[in-house]
Amino acid sequence: MSRIKGVDKFVVEREKETALHLKPGVFPLGRQSEWAAQNRTLTFALHPLTAGVAVSVAGKVPRENISKDIKVYAPDERVYFCKTVAVSDARLPFANDTHAVFLAMQSIMGQDAEEVGVEGLLRMSALYREAMLQQVRMLQDGEQQQQKESEFVETEVEIFQSMHAIWHLLEIIYLTTNLPGLNTSVVPYYMEWLNFNFPAPLAEDGQRIADSARDADALNKNTELWPYLKKLALRGHMTTLANMLEQVAPAQDLSAPSARWARELARVSREMPLGTSDETTGSFNARWRRWSNETHDIATAIGSLFSDEKDDPPLRSLFRIAEILRGEVDVISEEGELWQDVLGAILLYSEPTAQADRLPTLAQVVLEQFQTDEFTQLDRALVALINHDLAEFLVYSNQIDNWLSAHTSDIMDHLGILEEWRSVFAVDPRAHFLHLLGEKYLSHQDLWHVGLDYFGQSKTLTGMSLVEESIVRMPLESDRKAQKMLDVCAKYGLSTAIDRIHRQLGRQKWQRGRLGAAIGHFARVGDRNAIGQICDQLWAEYLKSGKLTYGPIIDGVMAGGRLRHDRLQFLTQYRDFHESYKAGDFIAAGRLLLAILVDETAPLHAIPDLLVDAIPLLEGDSLVFSADDTFELMRCAEALTQSPLVKKSIDTAAADQMLPWSEESPATTRQDELGIFNVACARNLARSFVVL
Amino acid sequence: MNSLQVQPVARTVTSVRWLPPRAGNAYTDTDLYFISGSGSKHKELVLWTTGNPDFKQLNDSDTDNAEESNVLASLVAKTSHDGDVHAIAAASSDTVATASSFGTISIYNIGYESECNLSLRESVTAHRFANGEPAVCTALSVQPTGAADAEVASCGEDGKLSYAPISRLDALQSHEVDSTVITGICWPTPTQLAISTRAGQVKLFDRRSPSEVSAVFVDPSQSYDFECITAHPSQSFRLVTGTNTGAVLLWDIRNPKQPTMEAFNVHQSNVWSVQFHPTDSSKIVSCSEDASLAITQWVAENNNSDSQNRGVRHLSSFFNALSINCFDICPFTRTSIIVAGSDSGNLLMEKSPASEFSMF
Repeated sequence: MSRIKGVDKFVVEREKETALHLKPGVFPLGRQSEWAAQNRTLTFALHPLTAGVAVSVAGKVPRENISKDIKVYAPDERVYFCKTVAVSDARLPFANDTHAVFLAMQSIMGQDAEEVGVEGLLRMSALYREAMLQQVRMLQDGEQQQQKESEFVETEVEIFQSMHAIWHLLEIIYLTTNLPGLNTSVVPYYMEWLNFNFPAPLAEDGQRIADSARDADALNKNTELWPYLKKLALRGHMTTLANMLEQVAPAQDLSAPSARWARELARVSREMPLGTSDETTGSFNARWRRWSNETHDIATAIGSLFSDEKDDPPLRSLFRIAEILRGEVDVISEEGELWQDVLGAILLYSEPTAQADRLPTLAQVVLEQFQTDEFTQLDRALVALINHDLAEFLVYSNQIDNWLSAHTSDIMDHLGILEEWRSVFAVDPRAHFLHLLGEKYLSHQDLWHVGLDYFGQSKTLTGMSLVEESIVRMPLESDRKAQKMLDVCAKYGLSTAIDRIHRQLGRQKWQRGRLGAAIGHFARVGDRNAIGQICDQLWAEYLKSGKLTYGPIIDGVMAGGRLRHDRLQFLTQYRDFHESYKAGDFIAAGRLLLAILVDETAPLHAIPDLLVDAIPLLEGDSLVFSADDTFELMRCAEALTQSPLVKKSIDTAAADQMLPWSEESPATTRQDELGIFNVACARNLARSFVVL
Repeated sequence: MNSLQVQPVARTVTSVRWLPPRAGNAYTDTDLYFISGSGSKHKELVLWTTGNPDFKQLNDSDTDNAEESNVLASLVAKTSHDGDVHAIAAASSDTVATASSFGTISIYNIGYESECNLSLRESVTAHRFANGEPAVCTALSVQPTGAADAEVASCGEDGKLSYAPISRLDALQSHEVDSTVITGICWPTPTQLAISTRAGQVKLFDRRSPSEVSAVFVDPSQSYDFECITAHPSQSFRLVTGTNTGAVLLWDIRNPKQPTMEAFNVHQSNVWSVQFHPTDSSKIVSCSEDASLAITQWVAENNNSDSQNRGVRHLSSFFNALSINCFDICPFTRTSIIVAGSDSGNLLMEKSPASEFSMF
């Protein structure tokens, strides 16, 4: 498997950065110096939360400091938004699937971590691995369907295969071999990991060798055969090794000793002891010692022949295979291409019952024989993991992919093994890597909710403030999206963000002329001031047009009686007053008008209009207001005239001719109207006494 | 909680609708078609096909293969959409109407010839705020009439109701009928419209005088926002609304002055869509922000009047953590097939055999 080398990886990233450019550009190709000579440069601002940049043209020196006139061109006035890190659409299913597993893990570990234990985490870990494998399959299927190789797909497949290899090893070291009540050897799991993640020798090679050989002679002549058999021995593919040795043994070209020892090696390969769950370590060790002694004897016997028959290459290969089987470290090191191969063969043939805690020691022995400066990020991450150097492991994991560092640090935190490493980092590593991943996801429109969950589930103050700061900056594209955002805020208990979103929605609706909806949002946050302003706007529109059209707005927001506000109460009562008046129910109209004045729900600037509205009722044919009612009206008028604020408003209103009927009779002012009102009150009072 | 089958589609699915069978009778269609709409980054309409489960015995081997490959539906055709798709209504097997976040109603034709395709026939801006900005068209519904030229009614965040014949969208009429956001719309009868509002109101309109509200219903005991509304397929006086608190409210408006209402608290969060089950209307199906579907038995069984004890079956998927935005139940098959779409970029499906039919 080809892998990205550490140095190459950084170069690739650097190239990506330098390749970022605007399309279309702000100046014609090749004319940068001419463009820049006219006091122009580029300025940029990083988005505070996501990986975005805003770029625009700016002046090198302020325009005021330049004597000559500068022409302004349209491209100079644009702001360009670019994304420096983008989540590919191909990753959406993976991001969503693993987000679901991540949330489920937080949920079950939050409820009863002890009961869930390692078994529960192992189940979750398997789901993460399945998601990675599914992603690789999906990428490869997509490439096959398009019938062309893509560099992007190759890179992505490589990243996901690397992530799977790391996650799988982490699972073996910290979960599979740590199940309570089991004293499990790491060897079978390590070999399974090795053969799954670094498949070698490839089954296709074996098939090709087998297909090319019609008989044993042809097989023996195939130059690929013996290297292939040595790889089989290194990887512990004993059945295949035995089968192929038996196939090649009858070859005419093969010397008699080679044929004999090929059969013998095939036999011992088949007889290699395999541990079973119901077998004690002692019993397995006894069987292993017998088998090991036998391979040792075979290797010694071939070795003695080999010294006599130096020109017999098959015998040399058989000797090497026998040496591998007896666990000869030097031979294994010479034959193994990867350090993982060598470690696997040493574990398999030298320490078949080794526990996971032996891995660091054995790995150190193996790595001494490799040049670690040529290691890839994957190698470094794996070595750090084997050595339990979690700080280094997380750093290398993060270089491979944010997803890996975020989820490995999370599962390590749940296992309780991250605690001792926290002091190495300046910030909590789990929270840090989760936040990095969250930021990355936020750059994709479809993953805003997923990104916020990674912030929120870090369960830190920083995480919560990131959720809050991100969500209040998100565009409120639709009412439904706003509801979803409010739901996220409620989930994380962000009452301040809920308030801010409602205020934003209120202002947005207000700007769009949706006054009812605006009142509804301001009411949720108890912004009485804003509601009052909207009510004043409705009242002013009524005064301007003379048409009472706000009824449906008020009815809509006051449905169910869930909203209480003086101004709304006033507008409702005033609307009802008009309806009663229109219907000829003057008694009800009078009661409503009096209630508005007595309850003081109306704003001061509306009271003169209310008093004027009372005139027709005071002067009507039937008596609407009793003596007490009239005294109340007069008291209101008296209070009004004594209020300096209202006096001023009366004068201003008269000057501005706010009243529609002022235009018809310009001489009429508010003062005159109040005078008429006073006379009407006096006459009504007189009438009320007579009637009584 | 039962599990839904999941198919990742890598886009936020905002609306989904089954198409009527092409032959006019499902029993002759071995393939069923449905259409999904998506929003956010991928504003698209996608036509899907899936095998008719009523034919399972005939095509056993094919179905098994499909299940093994974990493909619930196969993509047949797709086309870009002007804005997020907020609602889809099927007018016929080859015509659908869509509601857009840019305030437009669009009519798409579906071609089933040699190569299936979706093509935009006509589009009109139906919803706009007073300041000129486009307003999201939140829902639409096609008039349930046998007439050739049915009307499509839409509602929006601008508080307007719009009507237009499907064949002539340019004859659009709009009326402002609410001061808040209208969240759902349905036709209880061919001449009556019902809407739900963010202020927790249900309003009825007579199509013949579309600007006047004929009745308003509110639950004075609770402070709800209504997210969606639907009418019973045969009893036009029964309406169901979904609320922002996760409740499903069943209204009986036979007496408009004193409507009765029953609440079923079946979800944890906003109920985005609600329907009576088309083949068993004693069940109400709803989907929610809490990433689940709920099938509520609203008719009391065995004289059990306690609403909390009536059966509620929840459907969800472990691999679908985010909101289920939409669903539709295929009314043309004996097997009940629910298809749903979610914010997690999944199509979700549940196929359950129809209960045994008994006349008495």
